[in-house]
Amino acid sequence: MTKELMGSGPSSRPGGTAVMARYGLRSHRWTFAAVALLGFIAPYSTGMAYAAAAGTEALRAALGRETVALGPQLAYLIPLPLHPETAAGYIWWKGVTWMTLVLAAWGLAAATGIIRNEEERGLTESWLSSPLGRVNLLLQRTGAFALIALAAVAITGLGTAAGVAAGRSSVGLLALVEQGSALLGICLVSFGVGLAAAQISATRRGGLMVGGLVLIACYVLDALARVNPSLAGWAVISPFHLADLTTAVVPEGQFNGAATISLYAIAVALVVIAAASFRRRDLYSALARWPARVRGVSREPSNNPLLRFPVLRELWEQRVGLAGWVLGSMVGAGLVVSLARGAGKLLRSSPSFSGYIRAAGTSSAATAVVSSIWLSIAAMIGAAYAIASVSHWASEDSGGRLEMEIAQPWPRWKLVLERGLALTAASFAMSALGSLVVGAVAPGQGVALSAGRLVVASLLLVLLTLTFGSLGALIIARFPRAAVPGLAFVALLSFYVPLLAPLFRWPAWVLNVSLFHLYGTPLTSGLYWTGIGIMAVIVVVGFTIAVVAMRVRDVGS
Amino acid sequence: MGGEVAIRTEGLTKDYGESRGLFDLNLEVAAGETFGYLGPNGAGKTTTIRLLMDMIRPSGGWALVFDTDCQKRPVEVKRLIGYLPAEMPQWGGLRGREVVAYVGGLRGGIDSSRISNLTNRLDLDLGRRYREYSSGNKRKLGLLLAFMHRSRLLVLDEPTNGLDPLIQQEFNGMVAEATADGATVLISSHVLSEVERVCTRVAILKGGRLVRVASIADIHQLRFRRLEVDFVGAVPLEKVRSLVGVDQVVVEGHHLTCTVHGDFGPLLQLLGRSEVVNLTTHEPNLEEIFLPYFRDLAQQTPGSSS
Repeated sequence: MTKELMGSGPSSRPGGTAVMARYGLRSHRWTFAAVALLGFIAPYSTGMAYAAAAGTEALRAALGRETVALGPQLAYLIPLPLHPETAAGYIWWKGVTWMTLVLAAWGLAAATGIIRNEEERGLTESWLSSPLGRVNLLLQRTGAFALIALAAVAITGLGTAAGVAAGRSSVGLLALVEQGSALLGICLVSFGVGLAAAQISATRRGGLMVGGLVLIACYVLDALARVNPSLAGWAVISPFHLADLTTAVVPEGQFNGAATISLYAIAVALVVIAAASFRRRDLYSALARWPARVRGVSREPSNNPLLRFPVLRELWEQRVGLAGWVLGSMVGAGLVVSLARGAGKLLRSSPSFSGYIRAAGTSSAATAVVSSIWLSIAAMIGAAYAIASVSHWASEDSGGRLEMEIAQPWPRWKLVLERGLALTAASFAMSALGSLVVGAVAPGQGVALSAGRLVVASLLLVLLTLTFGSLGALIIARFPRAAVPGLAFVALLSFYVPLLAPLFRWPAWVLNVSLFHLYGTPLTSGLYWTGIGIMAVIVVVGFTIAVVAMRVRDVGS
Repeated sequence: MGGEVAIRTEGLTKDYGESRGLFDLNLEVAAGETFGYLGPNGAGKTTTIRLLMDMIRPSGGWALVFDTDCQKRPVEVKRLIGYLPAEMPQWGGLRGREVVAYVGGLRGGIDSSRISNLTNRLDLDLGRRYREYSSGNKRKLGLLLAFMHRSRLLVLDEPTNGLDPLIQQEFNGMVAEATADGATVLISSHVLSEVERVCTRVAILKGGRLVRVASIADIHQLRFRRLEVDFVGAVPLEKVRSLVGVDQVVVEGHHLTCTVHGDFGPLLQLLGRSEVVNLTTHEPNLEEIFLPYFRDLAQQTPGSSS
């Protein structure tokens, strides 16, 4: 594809003006597949769950009451529920609102990748050397992403319709289109934020950080406005609030045309700003650069001792990102535990939700919240970190870094071992510090936790992360490019199998396909030895095969 | 060949299918030699180097570096080698000095004074981030990483790509010093003149097969120049054709094109007797010089080339 683009300028042959758009469609295909899959499964599985939990009118009413009571506890994360006693209302609240976050994250990541990843790889320079203007390039890529995002949103609509049908109800096409237009709007705004942020920073990581901070600030403003009416006036500047105003799939819900048009207007404005910045700035540079510090020329190697030791050099190199992951774990832990008492009271008072307490194997509702909510989130953070690490390993391979490391007198098996140990150390830091926050905040919330169990639960989080990492190492040894999508698929499977298994009455052993199920609920119901055994076997076998594969494989060919 | 052998391969093959790869390479490079490894793109130069470095595994044959098997004892082999890859890896946001410390850590130590000396010679600022380096500076960093450990064998894949002439000269000096210190140097390139300046022998590859191993003196014998002459009057065609070493004579009006092997004297004497308005010479590229070999190779059966 690249050769084709480089060999012939997009406008040099009939139909060539769309080359960049076609490339754009192709470059997003894997993330599209993941988002579309999630977009279908999330509302559909919610609909299945609704059908299973609310088979009669009385059960539907009870579920609605309990969800309305639970809503304020989660108002920091998602909008308050609307008509949760109906299938469409329940699916909107539990399935569709989360997709707002997924689509926003996708838009941001895609845009920063288009600008910075491709620039760092020299692709942008090649394309701009053809008779293709910068604005044209940006617009074609934006158009391609908009098309593919539209497809993902349409699949989310399909999932919503299927979910509502599973809940023995129906939703109109117009309502789906209206809801979809709001979802697409937030996705495109996030894409625009990513495009603009990537002009400000010279690296993708910097673009993600700037864009992420902007989006998080908007999201937090929307969330705060939900729980604090005095901030409601300010919320209108948050695109998340504008998206929340459309609740078309909910019975008696509304389509806020003005808010949706505003979303598209913001997206267009951001793309225009990004295009103007892209025209103005130098390639490989940020829009504005800090004045260069006057410093002497350096001829000496770094004295940093960490760079000279295995594992430590990996951790040092990832220090900024790792600090973000650790901080995220600590903040998440603190937030969940601080909400545990209130959520626990709700769980105890609700016949439907009391099942959560029983499932957690404890008599304390607050402990059940920490166990089932925080440890689930921590497990997902661990899985996400493992995927990010595997992505880093894959880029080391494709970027020639692995070749350079292997060219040194350093056995190949040590490189695999070093990766595994660095992942262990990083996941230990995340889980240990997250658990430290849990241990510190819990007493103040009246949550009784066993210190021993908390330690064991933390250590098992490391094992879970390593399990994902070992699978990644295994895939990467043979199919480096498939490692990240493959591992993301494993994570999705692990997330949905425990949700879908009871709905479809799958046999109990199927649950063991889910790595999250293998982790169990160590904080409350004790250790799930079968799961621990399976994870240990996966780690040992995965890394062993990865070592063997690394020893025999060709590198750099 | 007597004395210590730095590189020895026997039937070394890497078959990627569709006639791509390296086939049946038998090669010996003596210790202390500066050896050029020449061939057009896709000839198998980088494949050979990657086999020596144990990056890729052979489909057949074997390779030794200082009598140590590259595949069976790769770590010992790489302890002896300073390596410059054809393409520099992505070190991202690391500063040059951090890359040096990182790679030095993998080798177990750094000689700061050596690094300081090399960075001065290469005029390389190690304080800048790798992503901010120009392609030339990235290449300089690669040279620094290859030379900094005073290895017994330097394996340099297209070492002067992107270097300016001054640094190329400095590079030639570094290679000369390394060989004076007893190191063996293997330089892969597709530019004959570049290899000529520093190497004592060269191997020529084409289509994954070794075409010829020759001393630089032998190469000079093979070498020819392409000449273009514009005459005021008629071209003395028969006289030109009768000269020894003059070939491929083509005349278009008053314009003569030919190739000259060896001594230019007779042709210049002839031109001196005619009225000439323009004379240009061109250095032929590698493929043109070795065209006869390449033609022969195409007619040979696989495996009989070396």
